[in-house]
Amino acid sequence: MGFCESLLILLLALPAVGAIVVACLGQGRALLVRQISLGVTMGGALIALILAIGVAEHPSPAAQTTFHPRFVPGATAASPDKTTWNLIDFNLGRAVKTDKHAPKLGAIQFYVGLDGLNVWLIALTALLMVSSVLISWKAITERVHEFHAWLLLLGCAMIGVFLAFDIILFYVFFELTLIPLFFLIGIWGGPERRYAARKFFIYTLAGSVITFLGLLAIVVVCYQRGGHVLTFSIPELITTFNLLIEQADGIPRERDFYQSFQFWVFLAMMAGFAIKVPLFPVHTWLPLAHVEAPTAGSVLLAGVLLKMGTYGFLRLCLPLAPDASISLGAPIIGTLSVIGIIYGALCAKAQDDIKKLVAYSSVSHLGFCTLGMFALNSTGLTGSLMQMINHGLSTGALFLLVGMIYERYHTRKIADYGGLGAKLKSITFCMVFISLSSVGLPGLNGFVGEALVFFGMFETRKLFAILGTAGIILGAWYLITMLKQVFFGALKEPHHDGPAVEDISVREIAALAPIMALCLLLGVYPQPVLNSVKSDVDVVANILDRRQNLATAQAEALRLSRQAPREK
Amino acid sequence: MSHPYAQPLADLFPHLVPEIVLVLCACMIFVSGLFQTDRRLHHAAALASLFFALIRALPPVEPPTSDAAFAIPLLFDSLANLTRVLAIATGIVFILLSWNDMADRHAADHDACFLIIVAGLCLAGASNDLVTLFLALEMISIPTYVLLYLPRHDDASQEASIKYFLLSIFSSGLLLFGFSYLFGLTGTTNIAGILQVFYNAEDAKPVAGLAQVAMLTVAAGLGFRITAVPFHFYAPDVFQGTSTSGAAFLSYVPKIAGFVALLRVFGFVVPAAVNMPSDHALVGMAVSDQVPTLFWFLAALTMVIGNILALLQDNLKRLLAYSSIAHAGYMLVALTSAPYLSGADASTSGVASLLFYLIAYGTMTFGIFAVIALLDRPERPVETVDDLAGLAKSHPGIALMATALLLSLIGFPLTVGFTGKFFVFFGAISVQGPLGWLYPTLAVVGVLSAAAGAWYYLRIITVMYLRTAVKPIETRGAAPALLALIVCVILTFALSVPPGANWIMSAARETSERQPPLKAPAPERGLVQ
Repeated sequence: MGFCESLLILLLALPAVGAIVVACLGQGRALLVRQISLGVTMGGALIALILAIGVAEHPSPAAQTTFHPRFVPGATAASPDKTTWNLIDFNLGRAVKTDKHAPKLGAIQFYVGLDGLNVWLIALTALLMVSSVLISWKAITERVHEFHAWLLLLGCAMIGVFLAFDIILFYVFFELTLIPLFFLIGIWGGPERRYAARKFFIYTLAGSVITFLGLLAIVVVCYQRGGHVLTFSIPELITTFNLLIEQADGIPRERDFYQSFQFWVFLAMMAGFAIKVPLFPVHTWLPLAHVEAPTAGSVLLAGVLLKMGTYGFLRLCLPLAPDASISLGAPIIGTLSVIGIIYGALCAKAQDDIKKLVAYSSVSHLGFCTLGMFALNSTGLTGSLMQMINHGLSTGALFLLVGMIYERYHTRKIADYGGLGAKLKSITFCMVFISLSSVGLPGLNGFVGEALVFFGMFETRKLFAILGTAGIILGAWYLITMLKQVFFGALKEPHHDGPAVEDISVREIAALAPIMALCLLLGVYPQPVLNSVKSDVDVVANILDRRQNLATAQAEALRLSRQAPREK
Repeated sequence: MSHPYAQPLADLFPHLVPEIVLVLCACMIFVSGLFQTDRRLHHAAALASLFFALIRALPPVEPPTSDAAFAIPLLFDSLANLTRVLAIATGIVFILLSWNDMADRHAADHDACFLIIVAGLCLAGASNDLVTLFLALEMISIPTYVLLYLPRHDDASQEASIKYFLLSIFSSGLLLFGFSYLFGLTGTTNIAGILQVFYNAEDAKPVAGLAQVAMLTVAAGLGFRITAVPFHFYAPDVFQGTSTSGAAFLSYVPKIAGFVALLRVFGFVVPAAVNMPSDHALVGMAVSDQVPTLFWFLAALTMVIGNILALLQDNLKRLLAYSSIAHAGYMLVALTSAPYLSGADASTSGVASLLFYLIAYGTMTFGIFAVIALLDRPERPVETVDDLAGLAKSHPGIALMATALLLSLIGFPLTVGFTGKFFVFFGAISVQGPLGWLYPTLAVVGVLSAAAGAWYYLRIITVMYLRTAVKPIETRGAAPALLALIVCVILTFALSVPPGANWIMSAARETSERQPPLKAPAPERGLVQ
C-alpha cells in the first residue's frame, strides 16, 4: 500500500479514533478535549490538502466510460482502481462454487478512493471540521467530551460518504451521518431541539431507505441481466448498466423494460437525495434543523451534509439512470429547483431571524446546484460541482458569523440589531465579504459556479435559466437588506449582560480566514479545480450526451415514420 | 435387526446427546428444587448443562444422504445443527438475563422448564417427521405455560398466562388439523417423504387443492408462534402481563421454533435425499405461487400493523411486543422470497436471510429486555417509555448500549439489524418470476414501515438522552443480566461486519444449499386417494 493510500485510510480513521479518545477522556478535561479535537481536525485538513494536490497533479485520463478512483487501498498492481478488500462475501456457504457456469458472486467491498468529483468536497469537509471545532471553543460548555466525540464521528461519516465507491458502503456512511447530527441537535440545540432532531432523523431516514432499495434494484438487474456477475462497485455498475441499456436499444420490449426500470429507480434514488438536498416540497426539515442546531452543527449541515444529496445525484443517479434523468429528471428537478430558488429567496427575505434567513438562503442556493446539474451537460455539471463547494464555503462561513454574533448578544432577531459596523469592524468586514461571495459577486467564488450553472442551463432550457437568474437578484436583495439593517446605520445593540462585547478574536479569525482566502482564490483563479474535475465530470456528461443524442434520434425517427404515411 | 431402517435409527442416538443431557439435567433440577432453594445453584447447573450441550453440538454432523431420510424421524443436517447451536446459545443468554427475575423458590422449576424448552427447540430443528415436529413443539409450549405462570401471581399475570395457554392450545389444534390433511394426502408423516410425493405428483390437481387447506392451517398454527398478524393478538397483553424475562422469552424462543418448523414443513429446506426435479422453479410444498402469495400477505400485514401499532404505545413491553411482531414481518419477507431464490444462479438465499435475521433479532431483543431487567425494580419500576428519562445521566454505559440495540432494531448501519435487513430486502428485490413485481412492492412496504418504526425506537433514545428524570433511576443492575446485555451488544456489532457476518451467513447459507444428488431416485410413493 502506497503513501497516498495510507493517507486515505488515515483521513477516515483519524476522526474516528479521535472520537473514541475524546469520549474516553470524560467530563472535566474540556480543554484537553478541545485541543485533541483541534489537532485531529487539523491533521485531517492537512491530509486532505496533500491528497487534493495529489489528485490535482494527476488528473484522470480523458474520455473514460466510468469512474476510475485513485489511491484505492487494497488495490492490486494490475488494476489500481479496484480493491480486494471484501466485507460481505456472497460466495460463502454455497454448495457449488467451481462450476464453470456458476454465477460470479462478488462481495460488498471496502472500496474507497479519490477522483475529481469527491476530492474537493473532502477538502471542504476537512476544512469546515477545523472551523467547527474552533467555533465551539466557547459556545459549548456542557458535556464537552460528548459533543466533540459526536462531531468527530460526524466528520468521519461525511468523509466516508464522499470516499465510498461501493454502493453499500456509500449507503452505510450516508446513514451514519444521521446519528451524530441527531445528538448534536438534540442535546446542544435550541429550545425546539428534540422535535427538530427527530424530524430531521425520520425525514432523512424515510427518504434514504427508498434510495437504498433503488440502489439494490440496480445491483440486482445488473446481476440478473448482465451475465450473472454480482458486483456492488459503483464504477463497474455504471459500466454494466450502460452496456445493458445500449444492448437493449434495438429491441423494443427490452428498451421499454429499461425505460420503466430507470423511471422507478430514478424516483427511488430521488426520494433520498431530494430530501437531503433539499428540494422544494421536502425542504421543511431544513430550516428547523438549522435553526435549532448549535453553530458547529449548522456549519456542517449546510456546508457538507446537504452536498451529500447533490453528490448522490451526480455520482449515482445521473450515470445509473441516464434515460430517466433526461426524460424525467430534467423537467421535474429543473422545475423544483427553480421553485426552490425563488421560494427560498422570498422566504429568506421574510425572516426576522438571521439564522433562519441563512437557512432559507441554503434552500435557494442549493437550487442553483441542482439546476446546473440537471442541465445535463458538462458545463452545467461542472458549475453544479463548483456551486457545491462554493455554497459549502460561503454558507458555512455565514453560519460561523451568525454564531459569533449570537455568542456576543444571545439574540438572532434582525430587528434587535443596528449599525454593528461601528463596533465590530472586523466581523462586519467578514460578513460583507462572505455575503458578497454568497450573492455571486464577480471576483469571488460564488460567481464562478453560478455563471457556469447558467451557461449550462441556457444551452438546454432557457426559461429555467432566466427564472433562476431572478433568484440571484433576490439573493442580493435579502442579503444586502439584512446587512444594511444589522451592520450599517445607527448603532443599536440588544440588551446584554456579561463582559463587554469585543471584536473578532484570534480563534475566530483562524476559523474564518482559510474559508475567506479560499473564496477569493476560487473566485480569481478557479482553473486548477476546474481542470482536476473535468475528466470525471465528462464521464457523467458523456453518458448523458450519448443517451440524449440517441433519444433525439429516436424521436426524430418516430416523427418521420408517422409523417411518412400521411405524405402518401 | 433385520429391518433396513433399524441401523439408521440406532445411529441417531449419538447425535441426541445434547438433548438427552439437557432433559436429564432438567429432571435433576426439578428434584433438587424440592430440597434446595438457592437460585445460584440451579442457575449454575443449568448453565453447566447448556455449555456441555453446546460443546457437543458444535462439531457439524454429516447428514445421511441415503434413503434412510425417508424413514428416520430426525435429520441432523446443517439446519438442525444451526438451530441447535442457536437454541443452546439463546439458552445461555436467557439464563443470565433472567438470573434475578424470579423468587428463589421458583428458580429450580424455572430453569428446569427452560432446559426442556431448549431441548425441544433442538429437536424441532432436526424434525423430519410431522409427529416428531409436533411433539417437539409441544415440548416447547407446555413448559412455557409454567414459565409464564411462575414469576408473578397478580391478575395481569394470570390473565397473560391463561390467554397464552388457550391460544397456544388452539394453535396446536390447528397445526394438528393441517398435519392430518398432509398425512391423508401423502400417506406418510415423514417430511422428506411428503416432499417427494409433492414433487412426483406435480400436476395432480386434487393434491394441490387439498394441500392448500393443509398449508393454510399449518401456517395459521405456526403463525401464532411467530406472532404473524392476524395471529398476534395475544402478544401485547401477554408481554405486558408477564415478567421481563418471560417477555424476552416470548419475543424470541417461539419465533425460532415457528420459523424452523415453517422451513421444515413447507420444505423450504429440502432434505438432500429428496429427488428434486431440476427444472422445478419453486422449492418444497410451494407447488404453485399460492404459498408465497399467502406469506406475502402475512408479511406485509405483519410489518405494517406491527410498526404502526407500536407507534401508539407508551408501555415499554407493549411497545416491544409490537416491535417483535414487526420483526416477524421482516423475517416473513425473507420466507416469502425463499421459494424463488433456490436456483443455482440465485445470488442470495431467502432461507439464509431468514436465519440470519432470526439470529440478528435475538441479539437485539434479548439485549433490550436485559436493559429492562437490569433497571426495573418494584420501588422504581421501568414500565413506560418515560420511566427511562435521564438514563444517560444516571447510567451512561447502559444508555449507550441500549442506544446501540435500538439502532440495531431500527436497522441502522454497523449494527446487525442493518446487515439482516440488507439480506432480507436484497433477497426480496432479487425475485424474478410471474409475480416478480410483487416483491419490490413488498420491499418498499417493508422499508417504509421500518422507517416509520424508527420513530418509536428513536423516541426511547430521545427520552434517555434528551430528557431529565423526575425521579432518577438508582438501581444497580445485577451482574449476570449486565453480562447478558454486554454479550448482546458485542454480538450486535460483531455480527454486523466481517468476519462475524460472514460466519453466520455462510452457516445460514449452507442450510439451504443442495449438493447435486449422488444417489439413485427415491422410491416411488403413491398418492392415497
